[in-house]
Amino acid sequence: MSERAIRFTSATLATAGAAIACYLLYVRSTGGTLACVTGGCDTVQHSSYSELLGVPVAALGLAGFLGLLGAALVRGEVARLTQATLALAGFFFGVYLLYVQLLVIDAICQWCVASDLLTTAIAALALLRLRAGAVAAPLPPAPSRPYPQRRPNGSRGPSRKQRQQARTR
Amino acid sequence: MQLTSARSRIPNSRYAVVLIAAAAVSIVLIVASQLGVRDGTKTASTATATSTSKAHAPSLFSGIPQQGTALGSANAPFTLVEYADLQCPYCARWSRDALPTVVANYVKTGKLRIVFNGMDFVGPDSRTALQTAIAAGREHHLWDVVHGLYAAQGTENTGWVTDELVSQIAAGVPGLDGSKLLAARSASWVESEVTRASAAAEAAGVHSTPSFQLGPTGGPFHIVRVDSLGPEGIAPAIDSALAG
Repeated sequence: MSERAIRFTSATLATAGAAIACYLLYVRSTGGTLACVTGGCDTVQHSSYSELLGVPVAALGLAGFLGLLGAALVRGEVARLTQATLALAGFFFGVYLLYVQLLVIDAICQWCVASDLLTTAIAALALLRLRAGAVAAPLPPAPSRPYPQRRPNGSRGPSRKQRQQARTR
Repeated sequence: MQLTSARSRIPNSRYAVVLIAAAAVSIVLIVASQLGVRDGTKTASTATATSTSKAHAPSLFSGIPQQGTALGSANAPFTLVEYADLQCPYCARWSRDALPTVVANYVKTGKLRIVFNGMDFVGPDSRTALQTAIAAGREHHLWDVVHGLYAAQGTENTGWVTDELVSQIAAGVPGLDGSKLLAARSASWVESEVTRASAAAEAAGVHSTPSFQLGPTGGPFHIVRVDSLGPEGIAPAIDSALAG
């Protein structure tokens, strides 16, 4: 998979993630009800884990996906490293939130799971991109050969006696 | 051979940097999340201690008639139905930030009656809390107990609705017998009321909390959307209804 294809796929997935985060924030701000087939979306969204020091987790998710989108659109090593760092951090935090849903709140939010799956896919792509960037990068310069170099005809150059004779001339 | 090893070392160091940075960011996020939850629990336990120490102090509902799940005069022209889960932190915030103003401006003046329709969708503690509130309703103290439970709200489903907590809250409500309240929670009529409240929420199309319905006392009611959990969120709808 070329780096160009990885970047395009990552940007598409990040856009989908941002759309999910926007939907969650919209429903939260209007006080509406989330579309939900798992039955636990509102339970999760109204739990104390839905905020992080007063900031909705959905807002953090939106910022994260926009960051991933930006990193996918930009070329270069900094963008590769940024995308990989953001995506892996999102993946680890997603695993924690999944643990909270399953074992603390005892409810599953399908939107959170979808967001986790997108983050996982972007993280895998970001690692592939990092690898692709490493292979494409120029190799370090070859080390210089040590002195003395053997001459093509096999001789080692003038002898000490020959050099002294040349100096006295 | 040297070139191959140099090539393989470079990506490995990049992976390590990325992994360490990502782990650091996620650890910060997880710690912040846990701190937020613990702060909520700490605030709740402080509130419990405060409410217990203020036993028999004049409550928010002093002088206001309570009848079952209703707060306010039965002759009030309008009724506000509050759909809430006692474990829902947003419901607790509404109770803390908006309810005192609504009570002072509309309920005490006889313009509005509020009916509590409890839900138990967050988990087992929601059910225990709701059973406690409904049992207190028969003693005409549902709103005192609901307010006390919100003030002492703990982390979801950690078993925070203990018998000790219920006894503490009851001790702060004049005329409410704590041991009688604890015994009444398991009565069959309480279970019937829990089922009825759940069916009422379903019929109203309520799936999130807090949700509100407003209308003339006796109905019909319509869902009210609130933009904020402060009094400014619900007041315009009440004012509009009262203005006719």
